[in-house]
Amino acid sequence: MRIHITYILFIVMMAAATTMGANASVLDSLSYDARLGYTVGGTIPTHIGKEIRGINSFNPGLNFSLAAEVTLPLGSRWAVHSGLRMELGSMDVDSRVKNYDIEVVRGDESLKGVFMGNVRIKTTQRRLTLPLQAQYSFSPEFRLRGGMFMGWLFSRKFWGWAYDGYLREGTPVGAKIEMGHDAGDRGDFDFDHNMRHMQWGLDVGADWQFHRRWGLFAELTYGFGGLFKSDFHSVQTLRPMYGTLGILYRIK
Amino acid sequence: MKSKIEIHIPLIAGLIAMTSLVMSSCFGDEPDYCEADIETATLHVARPAEFFFQESDSLQVVFSTDSIITFAVRGNADVSALSPEFTLSPGASVSPASGSTHDFGQGPVIYTVTSQDGKWQRRYRVNVVPTLITVADTICYDFEHYEIEPTYKRYYMWLNPLPDGTMGHDWATANDGYRISMGSAAAMDYPTTPLADGHDGAAVCLTTRDTGPFGKMAQKRLAAGNMYLGTFDMKIAMSDHLHATRFGIPFTNMPNRFTGYYTYEPGPTVQDFYGNPIAGRTDSADVYAVFYRNHDAQGNPAVLYGDNVLTSELIVAVADLGYVSPTTTWTAWDVKFEYRKEVDQQLLADKGYSLAIVFSSSSSGGSFIGAIGSRLCIDQVRIICTHEE
Repeated sequence: MRIHITYILFIVMMAAATTMGANASVLDSLSYDARLGYTVGGTIPTHIGKEIRGINSFNPGLNFSLAAEVTLPLGSRWAVHSGLRMELGSMDVDSRVKNYDIEVVRGDESLKGVFMGNVRIKTTQRRLTLPLQAQYSFSPEFRLRGGMFMGWLFSRKFWGWAYDGYLREGTPVGAKIEMGHDAGDRGDFDFDHNMRHMQWGLDVGADWQFHRRWGLFAELTYGFGGLFKSDFHSVQTLRPMYGTLGILYRIK
Repeated sequence: MKSKIEIHIPLIAGLIAMTSLVMSSCFGDEPDYCEADIETATLHVARPAEFFFQESDSLQVVFSTDSIITFAVRGNADVSALSPEFTLSPGASVSPASGSTHDFGQGPVIYTVTSQDGKWQRRYRVNVVPTLITVADTICYDFEHYEIEPTYKRYYMWLNPLPDGTMGHDWATANDGYRISMGSAAAMDYPTTPLADGHDGAAVCLTTRDTGPFGKMAQKRLAAGNMYLGTFDMKIAMSDHLHATRFGIPFTNMPNRFTGYYTYEPGPTVQDFYGNPIAGRTDSADVYAVFYRNHDAQGNPAVLYGDNVLTSELIVAVADLGYVSPTTTWTAWDVKFEYRKEVDQQLLADKGYSLAIVFSSSSSGGSFIGAIGSRLCIDQVRIICTHEE
């Protein structure tokens, strides 16, 4: 899939270059930069449902991203921007819930129902991202970028537990099952394998080239596809969302 | 609220960059409660001592799995105009109203509880039953009556014929708890199962079972087969399993001997809490009966639990078979109750004592130590009583 996207990107860039009628100078006109950023985020609920009554703690995680990016100018102000990024994302959220639909699955066994109490969710993801953006330069120093990204999770973990509360098995009038505080007494879940590998969505960014070589950048990606496969309903819909702040180094 | 501000950090970035994708992080209006339970039922009468066997019987704590509430009252109690009061799950309402007066001599009264959100209802049958205590010299439990539990239809439960011809639910098992971990198991693969061809008619078989992936996750790798006089509190089966087994039912006679027939085949390998085999150890079973005072020194109702059934201060007498020697042929036991305390005859007549009979296929099952496959079968249990004339 990644190869496929690269191929499409290549065609788009070539087409752009061809329209310029300057095939020979395309490679000469490309500029390259390396980027190092702090990435915040990983997953965000699409909305905080009324079942979530409060956030006990939220840690969006603080992770590095590393990228090699390329820009193809299409005139004095416009350009096509792409590259390859590796992003690490994580999240740790502890929330208080009421009437929260939950399903705990282990092997062939599952326990589902309506939970009242506290839910801790942790996730870590490692993602390889291929952006394709249009870039507009307001000045030699300041550029805005906007476009799409395709992402591939090569490492994904999603786990957590329901604790200090109780489950009504099946429906709100089902058997009441208390969940305690500690491992063994609480309801653990683990949904690694229910996560999608592919992500796609919007990707916007801004660069400030304050030096011939050095600059600062900000990037935000927002996934349109859910974090989980469409047949998975054990937890509410979550979307991948990453915000990155960092430095760039213009190689050429 | 600090946490609410923190969650905005990534959202602020989102707002700047793509206002069209603004997501609301505001908490919605609190949803209405969706539960519809009677949690407790109370019966206030003018002279409780003349109405109830024990005054504490006026308050019933109702399990989430129960939909029948029974007040067993003295045989001469007037039940023609009673006004039970209920505490309900938050937001719920009940019809007819809590505190409304009904003639329970006409039979049970059906109460319907509706959740605050209006989407869920539960029906409860409330009985107030004048009870004449019939004192039989020998109480027989033959395990001939069993059926698939009606709500979840996954496992067997047992009924016992009562002197008045109705069926009681004196025997409890932890099968409902096993259902949480191994919901997919067939009824005959649960820890407690019927055996059609026992010593005489049907018997009951208790088998130590693997609790599967859930059990492993919860560090509760096995479930000993058990059966006991008492109730099983499903609610705390996972969070506090030793207190989920509530041993004992009121007993109005002085037990003297505890007899019955058993077979016992220990499973091949005893495993420890972590599931590792313990070399050289053979599993052992529990066969005992405990007679105890069912109120504490402060007058609060009491039952015995998995962690004090043989050690509680409330114990009056114990009949313990002790070592249950493995045998594949039906073997009789006959154990005398060893009395530790005097019995108050008036208290005995007023249901102030309870009897727990406990069987388990792995005696360390409460600590999740035992051999998967250990099998204890039980038939023709008798409690032989004496009378103080």
